[in-house]
Amino acid sequence: MFLSAALRAAVSQAGRQVRSLHQSAARAGGAGLFVHRDTTDNNPETPFEFTPENLKRVEAIINNYPQGHKQAATIPVLDLAQRQHGWLPISAMNKVAEILEIAPMRVYEVATFYTMFNRQPVGKYHIQVCTTTPCMLCDSDSIMQAIQNKLGIKVGETTPDKLFTLAEVECLGACVNAPMVQINDNYYEDLKPSDIEQILDELKAGRVPPPGPRNGRFSCEPAGGLTSLTEPPPGPGVGVRADL
Amino acid sequence: MGEYLNIVRRAAGQITGHGGVRGLLLQLFRVNDLKTGALIGVDKYGNKYYEDNRYFFGRHRWVVYTTEMNGKRTMWDVDGSMVPAEWHRWLHCMTDDPPTTHPPEPKKFLAKVHQINVSGSSECYVPYSTTPKKIHEWVPPKVGQQ
Amino acid sequence: MLRFPAVGRALAGAAHSKGCLTSSSNVRTSVRASSNMVEVFVDGKPVMVEPGTTVLQACEKVGVQIPRFCYHERLSVAGNCRMCLVEIERAPKPVAACAMPVMKGWNILTNSEKTRKAREGVMEFLLANHPLDCPICDQGGECDLQDQSMMFGSDRSRFTEGKRAVEDKNMGPLIKTIMTRCIQCTRCVRFASEIAGVEDLGTTGRGNSMQIGTYVEKMFMSEMSGNVIDVCPVGALTSKPYAFTSRPWETRKTESIDVLDAVGSNIVVSTRGGEVMRILPRLNEEVNEEWISDKTRFAYDGLKRQRLTQPMVKDSSGQLVQTTWEDALTRVAAMLQGVQKSEVAAIAGGMVDAEALVALKDLLNKLDSEALCTEEVFPTAGAGTDLRSNYLMNSRIAGIEECDLLLLIGTNPRYEAPLFNARVRKSWLHNELQVALVGHEVDLSYTYNHLGDSTQVLQEIAAGKHQFCQVLAQSKRPVVVVGSSCLQRADGAAILSAVSTIAQNARVSSGVEEGWKVLNVLHRVASQVAALDLGYKPGVEAIRKNPPKVLFLLGADAGCITRVDLPKDSFIIYQGHHGDVGAPMADVILPGAAYTEKNATYVNTEGRAQQTRVAVTAPGMAREDWKILRAVSELAGVALPYDTLEEVRDRLAEVAPNLVRYDDVEEANYFKQANELSKAVNQSLLADPLVPPQLSVKDFYMTDPISRASQTMAKCVKAVTEGAAAVEEPDIC
Repeated sequence: MFLSAALRAAVSQAGRQVRSLHQSAARAGGAGLFVHRDTTDNNPETPFEFTPENLKRVEAIINNYPQGHKQAATIPVLDLAQRQHGWLPISAMNKVAEILEIAPMRVYEVATFYTMFNRQPVGKYHIQVCTTTPCMLCDSDSIMQAIQNKLGIKVGETTPDKLFTLAEVECLGACVNAPMVQINDNYYEDLKPSDIEQILDELKAGRVPPPGPRNGRFSCEPAGGLTSLTEPPPGPGVGVRADL
Repeated sequence: MGEYLNIVRRAAGQITGHGGVRGLLLQLFRVNDLKTGALIGVDKYGNKYYEDNRYFFGRHRWVVYTTEMNGKRTMWDVDGSMVPAEWHRWLHCMTDDPPTTHPPEPKKFLAKVHQINVSGSSECYVPYSTTPKKIHEWVPPKVGQQ
Repeated sequence: MLRFPAVGRALAGAAHSKGCLTSSSNVRTSVRASSNMVEVFVDGKPVMVEPGTTVLQACEKVGVQIPRFCYHERLSVAGNCRMCLVEIERAPKPVAACAMPVMKGWNILTNSEKTRKAREGVMEFLLANHPLDCPICDQGGECDLQDQSMMFGSDRSRFTEGKRAVEDKNMGPLIKTIMTRCIQCTRCVRFASEIAGVEDLGTTGRGNSMQIGTYVEKMFMSEMSGNVIDVCPVGALTSKPYAFTSRPWETRKTESIDVLDAVGSNIVVSTRGGEVMRILPRLNEEVNEEWISDKTRFAYDGLKRQRLTQPMVKDSSGQLVQTTWEDALTRVAAMLQGVQKSEVAAIAGGMVDAEALVALKDLLNKLDSEALCTEEVFPTAGAGTDLRSNYLMNSRIAGIEECDLLLLIGTNPRYEAPLFNARVRKSWLHNELQVALVGHEVDLSYTYNHLGDSTQVLQEIAAGKHQFCQVLAQSKRPVVVVGSSCLQRADGAAILSAVSTIAQNARVSSGVEEGWKVLNVLHRVASQVAALDLGYKPGVEAIRKNPPKVLFLLGADAGCITRVDLPKDSFIIYQGHHGDVGAPMADVILPGAAYTEKNATYVNTEGRAQQTRVAVTAPGMAREDWKILRAVSELAGVALPYDTLEEVRDRLAEVAPNLVRYDDVEEANYFKQANELSKAVNQSLLADPLVPPQLSVKDFYMTDPISRASQTMAKCVKAVTEGAAAVEEPDIC
C-alpha cells in the first residue's frame, strides 16, 4: 500500500519532469528565467537591508517625484539596491516594494523587463561584450575569445573567485568606438585582444583602468584624426561686412 | 362413410389419448391445442415429447410441459426455455435422433440441472453502468458510530 | 495601489452614452449636439458622441463591432494587442480604436482595405506564437482568438520558425494555466489589480519571452479569481474543475440565480446529460455586473455529492433507511395530524426558495401553528422585521457607486458578499469613495479608515461624540452598511438601534435628497429576505424556549437546533437537498431540489426578487420543495389550495406582492419611524468586539451545504492553508 503510494508519487513526479522538457526561450538563454525559483542564495529570506546612507538616497529619489507617485521611483531605487548588493535578490525587490508601498509584483515586472537588473548573482566585475553588427564587423569575436581564454569561462558564467561574470549583450550605443566592452559602469572602447587582456590583468590586480578608447583618440573623434575644425578658430569678426 | 368413421375415431382418440374429458380440457387450456401422437420420451423434469408425422412439418413434434420444474410451479406458467438442451435439438428438428435412443455425449458445459430463463424475474441480469456516478447520494451514518 | 479618476470619468461617460443610446430619440440627440457633442462618422454614418469617447466606443454606438483582445469594458485600456486597428480617413497610419479618443469630423473606416490588412497582419503575428492546439483546448468554441481569426485572419501563416513555449504556472485548484497559449493581452493582470484588488499577477520579462505570471511561486488568492477565466480571450487560463469535461456547444445553458450568498448573482448554468458542467456569470448591471465569486462558480460539484435522493425514515434501531414517498409522506402526515397546536414548529434554512417558504408557512398555519423561524437571527425588538426598510440593503448594490462615504459595521463584505465588495472597490477606485469600518480589521482589497472593533465606537458615533462624526457630517451621500453576522449576537437589537441612529443622523446632517437611503443590512444567506417578507420569525430562540413535538427543518443546516434542545420523543422532519447537518438528526428525510433543479423565487439582500430556472432534474426521487409540502398537506388533511407553480406564485403575491415582481426592487421606507421605535429597545451593548465569522479567504469557501459538499471548495481551503502545491491534481491539470 505504502509502496504503491510511493511509486505513484514517483511516477507523477517523473511525469512533471517530462513536462519540463519543453524549454522556454527564456530558459534557453538570454536574460535568465522570467520566473523566480527559490535557491539557497536567492530567496525571500536572503538578507537585504538598505544602508542608512542609501536610505537617505532613497528618500531623496522619492522626493524627486510628485507626492502620491512613489511608484515612479521604482527604477532608481532598484538600481540603488543593485549597486549596494551587487545584484538583485528577491528579498531586495520585496524591500523596494515595501519602501515604495507598491505590490511586489509591480517591482518584479520592472526588474524583469530591464536587462541591466541582474536577478542572478554576478561577479565583482560584470563584463558585457557587445557583439551587435558594428562591433562584430570590427571583430568583437576576437575580444570575446580573448576574454574567454583569459578567464576560462564561457558566456553567462562567473569565475570561481566571483570576480568576473561574462555576458554577451546587444548594442550599447558606442558603435563609433567598436569593438567595445562594458565593465560595470565603464566603457572600454576601440579594443584589441591585447588591450582587453591588459584591462583584465589590471582589474585582477585590484586597479580600475581608465575607461575610454584604447587607440589614443579622444572620445568619439574620427579614427583617422580630425577631418574638420583642424585650423585654429578664427577670431571674432570673420566673414562680417567690413563696414560693421 | 369410412372417412367420417375415421374422424369419429380420431375424436374419440383425443379423449382417450389425453386421459378422459378432464385431461382433454386440461390439455386444451394448457397447450391451446389438442394433438395426440407417439410419446417419444420424457426428460428428467417430466416434460413429455411427442411426435406425429401426420401433421405437417414443424408441427409434428411437440412438448407437453411438466407441472413443476426446478421448484417452480409450471402448471399454467410455462416457458419455452423449460426444454433442456438435449431435447431442444430433437424438438427443433435439428436431428431425428431423440436423446432416448442417442444419449448426448457428456460435455462439461452442459448443465446438470437445466435452468429456466430468468428474464423478468428478480434474478434477471441487469446491465450495470461502467461510467462514474453523476450523483453521489448521501449515506446516513450508521447508528452507534457517532 | 491604482486609482484612476480619469478612467472612472471615462467609464461613467461611456455608461452615460450607453444610456443615451437606449433612451434618447433622434430629436434629443440633435438638441444635445448643439451643447457638447462631437460628430464623427463610422463608415460614413454620422454619430454624435461625447468628447473623450474612444473610436471603439463610437463604433459600438452605431453597432459596429471592432475586433479586440486586450480591450475590456470594465478594465482600464491597455492598447497592447493592436487587434482593434482601424483606418481613419486622412490619417497616415491605422489607429488603435480602443485607446484613441475621437476627434470632430473623423471618418472611421472599419472595413476598408487598410483596416482589413492591418487586422490580418496583427492576427498573423498573434498566431505566430500561439499553439494550434484548438482540438485539445478547453476554450475551443468560445475562444475570441479562434472566432476572430476566422473572421479577420488570413488563411495561412508565413511563420515557419519554432514557436515559443512558456512554462505553466500553478495558480491554485481553480485556474488551469497553459501559458503557451497566452497572447499577453494583460486582461487578467488588469482584472487582478483593478477588480479583484489582488496585485499578484503581472507581466515579467520582455519581448518574445514576456510572460504573464506571479514571478514567485504563489497562488492567485482572490475570492473572485475565477473571473480571469472568462476574461481571458484565449485558452491560457481555463477552469481546472471543468478541464476536458465538455464543449460549449454540447451544453444546454439555463439562466438562473446563485443562492450561495445573499447577493443573488445572475448565472448561467451549463448542463449536459442531466449534469451541471459549469456555472458562468450572466450580465446584470444592477447586481453582479459580469463577475461572480469563486464559490458561485466552482461549488457546483457540491450539487453532485452528499445528495438526498431517496426519502428516508428511521427504522426501529434508529438507523435511517431508504423508503418510498408514500411511506415517508404518510408518516409525516400522521405525525402532523396527531399533534396539537404549538407542538409543531418549523425552521427554514439559508437556501430555501420563497415558494417552499410560503407553502410551509401555509401548512403550519393550517395546523394552527405560528412557530416558523429562520436560522439566521435578526433582532425583532423595536420595529424589528415589521418595517421592511430595517432588513434590506436599501441603497442597493449599484447605489454604492453614487455614494461618497461608506461606513461598514461588523461585516467583512469581501467574503460575505464578494460582488458587493467588488462594487465598493470599483467606487473606491473610480469615484473617490471613502470607506470606514467598525469591526475586526480585515483585508477588504481597498484602504479604509478603521475605527476600531468595539461596540463602544458604535455608541460614540451614534451619540455624535466620535471624531468620525465630523467626516460623516461632511459627507454628501453617506451609506451605512451593517452586516447581518453582527446582528446574530445577543445585543443585535442594540447594535441595529445604534446603526439606525447613525444612519438617521447622517441622513439629516448630509441633507441628501428624500429618495436617498442610508441604512443598509448586508445579509449572508439567500433565503432571509424572502422569509422575513413572508413573516417568518428570525432566529430559533422561540423554538428553544418552547420545544415542539414535531419539528420541520426546511433545509436548515446551520445546526442552530440539535436533538439536545428538544424533548426526547420529538419528531424531526428534514426536507432539503444535502445530507449535511440537519439530515442526520432527522426521523424522516424528504429529498428536495437544489437551486439548479427548480423554478424558484429568491430575494436578494436588496429585496430584489429573482427566479432560478430548472437546469437539471432533481436527482433520484427528489422533488421540488413546494410540491413535497403540498403532498404532505394533502395527506395531513389540510390540503393547500395550490397545485401549480403559478398558483403558488399567486399565493406569494397575496402575501407579499414584491416577491413575484421579478428583477424589480420594491423600495422600503419609514426609516425615521424605525429609528424612533428602535430607541425603545435595551441599548446596552456587550463588550465583545465585532468580529465577523469570515475573516480570511479560507473561511470563504465552505459556508453552506452545497459548498461544504464540494471537493473543489475543499481543495481551495487546503490550497490557501497549505499552499497550492499541496493539492493533488490529476496530471492533465
